[in-house]
Amino acid sequence: MTETVKHTSAETSAVALELLGVSKSYNGIPAIRDVSFRLRKNTVLGLVGENGAGKSTILGTINGVVSPDEGVVRIHGEQAHLGHPEEAARHGIATVFQEQGLVPQLKVYENVFLGREAKFTTFGVLERDRMIRVTQEVLEDLGIDNVDPKAVTGDLSFGQRQLVEIAKAFALSRVYPVEPIILLDEPTSALSENEANKLFEGIAQWRSKASIIIVSHSMADIFRCCDEIVALKDGQVMQQLEASETSPDGLHELIVGRKREEEYYKEFRQRTPDDQVVISVRDLAKEGEVEPTSFDLHKGEILGVAGVLGSGKSVVASMIAGLTPRDGGTVMIHDKPLASGSSFQAISEGIGYVPAERNLAGIIGAHSLEWNLTLPGLTNIAGPLLIDLSSRKSAEVTDHWLKRLKVRAPGRRALARNLSGGNQQKVVFAKWLARGVDVLVLDEPGRGLDVGAKEEIYDLIRDVADQGTSVLLISDNLPELIGLSNRILVMRRGQVTAELPAAFGAKPEEATIVKSMI
Amino acid sequence: MTAMTTNAGVPSKGQNALRPYYAILAQLCALGVLIAFFTIQNPLFWTLANFQNIGMQSSVLLLVALAGTLVIMIGSIDLSVGATVVLATLVTAISVDLYGSVAAICIAIATGAVVGAVNGGLLVYLKVPSFLATLGMMSVLAGLAGHVSGGIAIIYQDWGYTDLINGSFIMGVPNVAAIALLTALLLTFVALRTKFGRYLYAIGGGEVVASNSGVPINRFKIKAFVVCGALCGLAGALLAGQVGAGTPAAGSSILLNSIAAIVMGGTALSGGVGGPHRTILGVLLIAILSNGMDVTGVGGFTQDIVKGLVIIVAVAITTDRKKYQFIK
Repeated sequence: MTETVKHTSAETSAVALELLGVSKSYNGIPAIRDVSFRLRKNTVLGLVGENGAGKSTILGTINGVVSPDEGVVRIHGEQAHLGHPEEAARHGIATVFQEQGLVPQLKVYENVFLGREAKFTTFGVLERDRMIRVTQEVLEDLGIDNVDPKAVTGDLSFGQRQLVEIAKAFALSRVYPVEPIILLDEPTSALSENEANKLFEGIAQWRSKASIIIVSHSMADIFRCCDEIVALKDGQVMQQLEASETSPDGLHELIVGRKREEEYYKEFRQRTPDDQVVISVRDLAKEGEVEPTSFDLHKGEILGVAGVLGSGKSVVASMIAGLTPRDGGTVMIHDKPLASGSSFQAISEGIGYVPAERNLAGIIGAHSLEWNLTLPGLTNIAGPLLIDLSSRKSAEVTDHWLKRLKVRAPGRRALARNLSGGNQQKVVFAKWLARGVDVLVLDEPGRGLDVGAKEEIYDLIRDVADQGTSVLLISDNLPELIGLSNRILVMRRGQVTAELPAAFGAKPEEATIVKSMI
Repeated sequence: MTAMTTNAGVPSKGQNALRPYYAILAQLCALGVLIAFFTIQNPLFWTLANFQNIGMQSSVLLLVALAGTLVIMIGSIDLSVGATVVLATLVTAISVDLYGSVAAICIAIATGAVVGAVNGGLLVYLKVPSFLATLGMMSVLAGLAGHVSGGIAIIYQDWGYTDLINGSFIMGVPNVAAIALLTALLLTFVALRTKFGRYLYAIGGGEVVASNSGVPINRFKIKAFVVCGALCGLAGALLAGQVGAGTPAAGSSILLNSIAAIVMGGTALSGGVGGPHRTILGVLLIAILSNGMDVTGVGGFTQDIVKGLVIIVAVAITTDRKKYQFIK
């Protein structure tokens, strides 16, 4: 590919970590292909790419959670035994997770040395004082003065807990004779601006004692702290470059890398929505997550909502679907007010919700397609006794929608968990179509699907809009959002920062949206 | 060797088609083996009188196991079923002399329903895990039963009630067994062919999915507990009719046997699969196992050991390990 690894300074300073030709597939779908890059000692490297570009798989390969199909990882020049988290830790690899990896019930010092207690044990007795003292030293070394080693971790703020995780990473060097390599996965996504500033000050200071890889959606974060950047697209390294050699715009083009394909998003099928307002949202708010927000959703319109993780876009969707109670404002559907936090009422007024977590919230894996598909609309298949369900109607409805949505399955009695992700997603759509809805709230409808399955889902979304159903589309995938939407709202830190029209032939640029996102 | 590996790599379609029926086939085989074994050990096992006996002995168990099934279907558990039955026998024994047979049965059912409502309320509103809420309730009810009875059986005078329960209206089938079987059929219909049943399966299979699909989860959880309690009340009324008294003992063996039957039937403790129809088979297995051990002279202590092991093995086989990352 267009891989041009810059060796200029890499050869002059020591290499902390090196990946060579690493590949990994899940169920035959490649997640990363032939990934090679190197992290120089005492530098900060940014890993950037869209969702699904393979960032998590790469982090997993480095910290031993993922065992790749091919390739070599060298840590401090030594070839690592892949797929063993414990060994990665011994080599000094420490991950600060997006979803934090601390046990809330334990004290800070217990978390810092969790799993390494053996180093603090004499004749089977834990030397608590020494653990506390070393933890205190580590915290002081890092300039972290607002965390008490004896505090219960769960009582700390999110930002403090993150600092504990970072301390935990540095504490490794007290146990093993290695310099830590720290992987930061979206470290600022849940931090306040102030906390984020502190984190970056810390990174600037800590790099003298560690090598750091940072994964972030935020270009601002990347350019603020990285020396080098690895741009990823579709599981491949596009380029490794010095941060000083590029700009956010240049980098963005690298990771998107393709022109939006009108064909793929069925843009030619985009219709002009009616003027009729179906849902009217006024001053919708959730404390700490969404500032008062107002917008209208028209009949047959696809309204996209863009924003980074933590921008509040998913919370807005969840409040409209009645799954999260709101703290203020009103939601009207067909001029009828919706109660706060009542998914039951939202559904009976015709709002269907397609969740991002398909396996957790969309389908019941142990049940048949028939049972899954008919669940929201059981009243549609009532039998002659009125309290019973007609197995004939149930079969007809199921077969109709399985056929109409071209679900590839052995039959309506097949268990939902045995279907591919794309077909499961079709079943989630079918649940609502079979029930009959006026509004569909879609949270990341393409997540985890391969290219072909995505295209089918996009086609389906167009079909739905053609029927006059309104769609609220939440997506991290900008090309998808731009391609599908009639109109786009951009959110940042709980506020709508822009509203952009996106008519066929006059789609906004990604850069325009990104500008309002960060 | 190579040939075998190739075969294993490509699962044939025929294997998969039979898969859903493996459990039922295994149960039928176990049933056949048990019947054959006990008949060889003691020919009296295979007689109409003994099967009537099994029917009488297992009717109460069937009702309690059906009750427990509804709660286990939603992924909860009711450990107070035995204690509820005991309380209901006492309530029946007291009220049958005062208000007559029909009223006594109704009062017993209502008592059970109230217990179920409290259990469900504890789960839904106070967020007490059903395991603990019903464990506490079990102790509360046992104490209550002790107060009501003073620790001894309450013998009632109305022998008409005993005759009603133990008599037979249809072709030699004991009335108590007929009531239990009718209830089983009704519940099977409710579970498989009504919205109520489908919602219980959905809640147990995936609570978040059910909630997202518009199932009023809390309301149906309480309903499941109320029906469970009411059925235990009915079971208590029948038990009082069978023994001619309200008895303060027997709660723990009912609980153990009912959970054994439910799990043997194939309703996983994780919820969402199985159902009343499966429990009928489970009760049959437990009933034949108990009766068979009785007629072959296996002692009560050994029976306890066997049944305990049966529960453990059945749970080990039916647990959906994919669903649980951690087993607590």
